[in-house]
Amino acid sequence: MFDKLKNYLALAAAYVRFNVKSQLEYRTAFISQAVAMFINDCAWLAYFIMLFDRFPIVRGWHAPDVATLWAVTAAGFGIGHCLFGNSLALARIITNGELDTWLLYPRALLPHVVLGRMNASSFGDAVFGYVVYFLIVRPDLPHMVLFTSLTFSVALLFLGFSVLTGSLSFYVGNGESLSEGWRNALIAFSTYPTELFDGKVKLLLFTLIPAAFVSGFPVEALQKMSLLHAAYSLGGALTMVTVAVFVFHHGLKRYESGNMVALRG
Amino acid sequence: MVMVMNLAVEVNNLRKVYEVHKRRGFFAREKTEVVSVDSVSFTVPEGQALAFVGPNGAGKSTTIRMLTGILTPTSGDARVLGFTPWKDRSKMAFQIGAVFGQRSQLWYHLPAGDTFDLLAKIYNLNPVEYRKRRNELVERFELGPLLDVPVRKLSLGQRMRAEVAASLLHKPRLLMLDEPTIGLDINARHQLRELIRDWNRNEGLTVFLTSHDTGDIESVAERVIIINHGRLILDDTVDNLRNRKEFAGMSLEDALAHIYGLEHDDSLDDVKKEALIV
Amino acid sequence: MSFLKKYWAIAWIAGKSNLAYAGEVGSRMFFLTVILYIFMCLWKTTFANAGATNFAGYTPRDIIWYLAFAECIMMSSPRVTPLIDEDVRTGSIAVQLVRPLSYPLYRLASNFGEQVVKFAVTAVAAFLIALLFAGVPENFVTGFLFALLVLPFAFVLDFLGYLLVGLCAFWFEDTTGLALIYSRLTMIAGGMLLPLELFPEQFQVVLRSLPFAYIVNGPARLFVHPDAEALGMVLVNQIVWIAILGLAAAAVFKKALNRIALNGG
Repeated sequence: MFDKLKNYLALAAAYVRFNVKSQLEYRTAFISQAVAMFINDCAWLAYFIMLFDRFPIVRGWHAPDVATLWAVTAAGFGIGHCLFGNSLALARIITNGELDTWLLYPRALLPHVVLGRMNASSFGDAVFGYVVYFLIVRPDLPHMVLFTSLTFSVALLFLGFSVLTGSLSFYVGNGESLSEGWRNALIAFSTYPTELFDGKVKLLLFTLIPAAFVSGFPVEALQKMSLLHAAYSLGGALTMVTVAVFVFHHGLKRYESGNMVALRG
Repeated sequence: MVMVMNLAVEVNNLRKVYEVHKRRGFFAREKTEVVSVDSVSFTVPEGQALAFVGPNGAGKSTTIRMLTGILTPTSGDARVLGFTPWKDRSKMAFQIGAVFGQRSQLWYHLPAGDTFDLLAKIYNLNPVEYRKRRNELVERFELGPLLDVPVRKLSLGQRMRAEVAASLLHKPRLLMLDEPTIGLDINARHQLRELIRDWNRNEGLTVFLTSHDTGDIESVAERVIIINHGRLILDDTVDNLRNRKEFAGMSLEDALAHIYGLEHDDSLDDVKKEALIV
Repeated sequence: MSFLKKYWAIAWIAGKSNLAYAGEVGSRMFFLTVILYIFMCLWKTTFANAGATNFAGYTPRDIIWYLAFAECIMMSSPRVTPLIDEDVRTGSIAVQLVRPLSYPLYRLASNFGEQVVKFAVTAVAAFLIALLFAGVPENFVTGFLFALLVLPFAFVLDFLGYLLVGLCAFWFEDTTGLALIYSRLTMIAGGMLLPLELFPEQFQVVLRSLPFAYIVNGPARLFVHPDAEALGMVLVNQIVWIAILGLAAAAVFKKALNRIALNGG
């Protein structure tokens, strides 16, 4: 068991090295995508800070709170999808039958597939998250440690979420736009304070669109230095990953090597 | 040929049915079933080179995908090197190699050498043995000067050679090739065929090949299985097929076209169709 | 006018082929519902917290309808940059030159057809959702007619921006980053999420002197607050900006063609 874990960690390390190398092959593209995402995030944050500054949207919310919200969401999204870049493309990989290549290897399929690629623009998100938290919130050491741990918990949640939504392509013909729409909904809800939403919809934010675990709990944990809220966030992330792994493997049984079967000899 | 033979592949009544949704108008959809592979049975002894042929849509790729563990059959059974592919996919993968002509396993933007190194990690190869094996393959496949060139800059022929070499790194006992020569020029095709045949004759590698190119079949395979509409319609040695008197004076290509044509010909009764199968 | 007929046919085909993406439409509707819901919650609390009935003439209902209309423009904007980028990169732009068509006009026509259909489909759903969340708008008919007058110019203006970005592929290795930044500028500087009138004064002056305002804010504002004078202003600005960007695109395209002639595609 331990050996196996070590073996997979070694594989993961090999992939990260490999992916970095392959990104560097087109370093201009990598850098320009990452920088563009960084600028994009900055524009949104500036806009949101302006919005919260000008209108009394949530009482007691100021620039540092908005920055915390954006930092934790962006960094979590960035870490999760930068290292495991294929999770974002899972719907397309399944629909186009590109899973074939991965199925030929003697490895656990899911970790292997998601590790297979890096996502450049997510790298920009991750850097943005840390830079913003560091510069605008100006955290002390305990806050920084908590922030860092929380971003990894959020990364895990995003990874699980992307695998889950991507796996829907096993069930519906072309789930690409479905998974993208769903992910955008999660991001949209995650970039606003959870306090804005009332009862019934809040339930949604703990389940189908788990924004509470992306920004709700983590932001509260950081505002109050509350380990309990951090634990909630991690619990949500672990649950999400468990569900995602289950759905992926359930769906895999229905894998039909893509809709392109008819086109092949 | 009477020998004690181990079977590399054993297929029993393998069947695959797809559900296909057809769009009817804007909202309505119609569900139909398409039988892609219909109760196919055959065996391949270890060390044999087999060509698995048939017209487009005959079910070749579906069969090869089931035998590599990518697809789960609707019913029936198969053993590949003693494994049930769709159940023991991971374990089996250590012992088989696969080349899909239309899907590359080499990273497009990196040199093939980098993919080789990564594959060594994926297959848990011992570093010393891996290096030895790689050097051997590089020499035999004449990859030396190409190893450090990004794959996107290789010609298709060079890329396919690297592709096949990559799939042999972990010393598989069985190599599955799905249309490996598609799009290659004459020289590249000759070279690739020779390499595959050499590996089959000299290293005892079992080869399972699908192709539309009769040249591939003639120069690589000893035996040919033809399927059409998901059914096995002919199973014979390549020599026998060529020497059959009904195909006298025909090229293998014409003979195959004739056999595919017979399948479409409704006037041909089942008895005659049966007669084609030895 | 066989000249116009040709481009009309291209627009028609592009529009028609986009009717097929029912799944994508569904996903867009879902996202739209989410965004409009979030905004309803946001402004409900904000108006309550501020104890105000309107901000700069915008009632809560106006804001939701404004947003619904602005989202329709943004969501229907076709992703034309990757297509142009690819045509440039693969050299198929050179192949296009052999046809009896102007490449930029060909892209404009196909883009326009696609956007009109996408806009119509999105608008039907968006209006239903807005009706549900915010009730019947004032001046719906006049507003809609006014907006329809300026919408085609907004589409052309939007296209010219993306065309310029796409043509950058002649010089840059990768344009996805630029396209991202451009689209964010249209969203934020164009006033998609927040009517320009609600921005701080000094921002408004700057943003009104940029083309983005006349892609999104112009039509959306006329839709909720139809006003003849404003209509004239929007039209004048749109036409001026179309002239400027059109000339710029023509110059860039000509330069790019010279490059092809020099480098052989």
